[in-house]
Amino acid sequence: MSKLKTSKFGLGLAAGAMALGLSTAGIAAEHASGFNGIGKNITDKAIEPWDISVFYDGENLPKGSGTVEAGQEPYDTQCAMCHGAFGEGAEGYPKMAGDPMPQFITSLKQGLDGVGNRGVNNAWGHAPTLFDMIKRHMPFYAPGTMGVDESYAVTCYVLNLANIVDYEFTCSNETLADVKMPAADYYVTDTRPDTDNQRCMSDCYDYEPKVVGAAVTGVSE
Amino acid sequence: MSETTLDQTPQSDAREGVASSDRRKFLRKSVALAASGAAAAAAGNAYAGDVKLETVTEPLKDGPTRNILGRGVVSVPYGMPSKFEKNVVRRNVSWLTADTVASISFTPWQDLNGIITPNGLHFERHHAGAVDVDPETHQLVIHGMVDKPMVFSMEDLKRMPSHTAIHFLECPANGAMEWRGVQMDSMQFTHGMMSCSEWTGVKLTDLMEYVGVDPKSTWLYAEATDGSALQRSIPMEGAKDQFGEPIKASDCELYKDAMIAYAQNGEALRPENGYPIRFLLPGCEANMSIKWLRRIKFVDKPLVTYQETRHYIEPLPDGTIRQFSFLNMANSVINYPCPDNQMKGKGSYEIRGIAWSGQGKIAHVDVSVDGGKNWQEAELVEPVLSKCVTKFKLPFEWNGDEHLIMSRATDETGYVQPTLAQMRKVRGTNSIYHKNSIQAWKIEKTGEVKNVQIENF
Repeated sequence: MSKLKTSKFGLGLAAGAMALGLSTAGIAAEHASGFNGIGKNITDKAIEPWDISVFYDGENLPKGSGTVEAGQEPYDTQCAMCHGAFGEGAEGYPKMAGDPMPQFITSLKQGLDGVGNRGVNNAWGHAPTLFDMIKRHMPFYAPGTMGVDESYAVTCYVLNLANIVDYEFTCSNETLADVKMPAADYYVTDTRPDTDNQRCMSDCYDYEPKVVGAAVTGVSE
Repeated sequence: MSETTLDQTPQSDAREGVASSDRRKFLRKSVALAASGAAAAAAGNAYAGDVKLETVTEPLKDGPTRNILGRGVVSVPYGMPSKFEKNVVRRNVSWLTADTVASISFTPWQDLNGIITPNGLHFERHHAGAVDVDPETHQLVIHGMVDKPMVFSMEDLKRMPSHTAIHFLECPANGAMEWRGVQMDSMQFTHGMMSCSEWTGVKLTDLMEYVGVDPKSTWLYAEATDGSALQRSIPMEGAKDQFGEPIKASDCELYKDAMIAYAQNGEALRPENGYPIRFLLPGCEANMSIKWLRRIKFVDKPLVTYQETRHYIEPLPDGTIRQFSFLNMANSVINYPCPDNQMKGKGSYEIRGIAWSGQGKIAHVDVSVDGGKNWQEAELVEPVLSKCVTKFKLPFEWNGDEHLIMSRATDETGYVQPTLAQMRKVRGTNSIYHKNSIQAWKIEKTGEVKNVQIENF
């Protein structure tokens, strides 16, 4: 029962069952937590092929590397049809390079469209998770089929398209965590609620409501 | 019995205009209620006057189903709705996404009358299409900061103590097409990225107990086995973001409601909803409820994945980018009447709608029929459950005038659903996600009901 001491919770299920005095009926044996004999143990080695997630700080990046130059061919043949030859986006798929950070922020402050301009240069905090996304999810039509070095190369090519790394840069498990992403310092963790409406029941305002309808109809189709 | 013998016209017109003595009594009673009811008057909702009813004089005729045999049992082994309900389906908006495998469909709440979404109408959101995973070979791995890394089969999960609860799931993009102005002419598209089901599975905290999670673990993440291998980080007590700032304490408790769900409304999950198992994190943006779940890892920091740094973020007018907006805050909408359910003549109606909050139970829903100047509390229909759709209703007499009708939810934390102007003031129009502002519909004199926005409220 020592594991219960290190448990996230104060009270173990087995301890609870004992407290209820259920231990004699064969309904819940003394050590039963409802889990007795269920599942299999597994070694870290056996989990390794699935343990692919990369943290923002580069932890768990797989060993490997790729240059900007090496990324051009796979990007042009596997990525450009959706993301644009220059990362400008195509056919409604996301841009790789959007407005530069200062312009993106200015647009946000002025209420202009910053959304459609999201790219890895203005709305991506950490280069290691760009590698993770490409390795796990790309290319879109055959997800997860790129090799490790190829994924580093495509990551590097995209970072170069977005003016984040030089053409000579090599992306690897050693270098990616140190790439400074332009948006890194602009993130703020949720501070909602950010509105404070009151439950007014009568005479809540005395001006004319400015009612606006659809500018065009039929956009739902 | 051939299917074509049933291929006849709808039979529902029998009700129309029939004034039996029971019905007359009922009508008199509701008129009296409306007339005397301060209820009606308080919301600018006055008695419509005696509405002259039509009289049926033509003798009734049998309908086309009266003298035939219907279908035998199991002629449709998995039952389907009436063919007359063929318009009650999920829909998508073609221009919203580049293709349908990384896209979203919408639940037709305008046609639903309960709090449960039928499984075939649950909204869908895929990042690499819906896959059909074989439950015989599917495995769930739990590892990381645990005493015992373990792997479970579907049989294992079903043998464990089960947990059942009714919860909504909502994409944080629900309502997103309306930030800048009115676009959609159906409530399916203004509010349909939300559905509500009874879920059954294994409580995450029970599994945590079993594998012995290290108390120093402050985050977990869940991962899918589809093409996107979608992954999201979920905070626990003591969690900090990538800058070392603490995640607010209430968000660090959200995981306690989580489960590994294998059943939806009593049957197996649908492939579109993560068959054979999905993570379910009630109250939170549904992207966190990882479908086709294959792995949970206990860790001590967030991943800050693509989903968390590029996708589900809110660019704000103060020049910051908000991340980790987990909760779906209180929201509500009137689904009768609405642009899909128009007025059919003067007289009595029941305004009906749905309300939900990721923070707990709905405490009140207020309805206004004058653009938000005056409000009246609606009746909440039982059951009223935490992080679950709650139905509300309020009698309404329509005298043929124009009305701006809207609903406003307050949840058990005291949070009041904001107005559109309040929301735009702090979020601008570029923040994409988590738009839960009060929805207005305009009833025209013709009885048409339109989607509108009140810019200064």
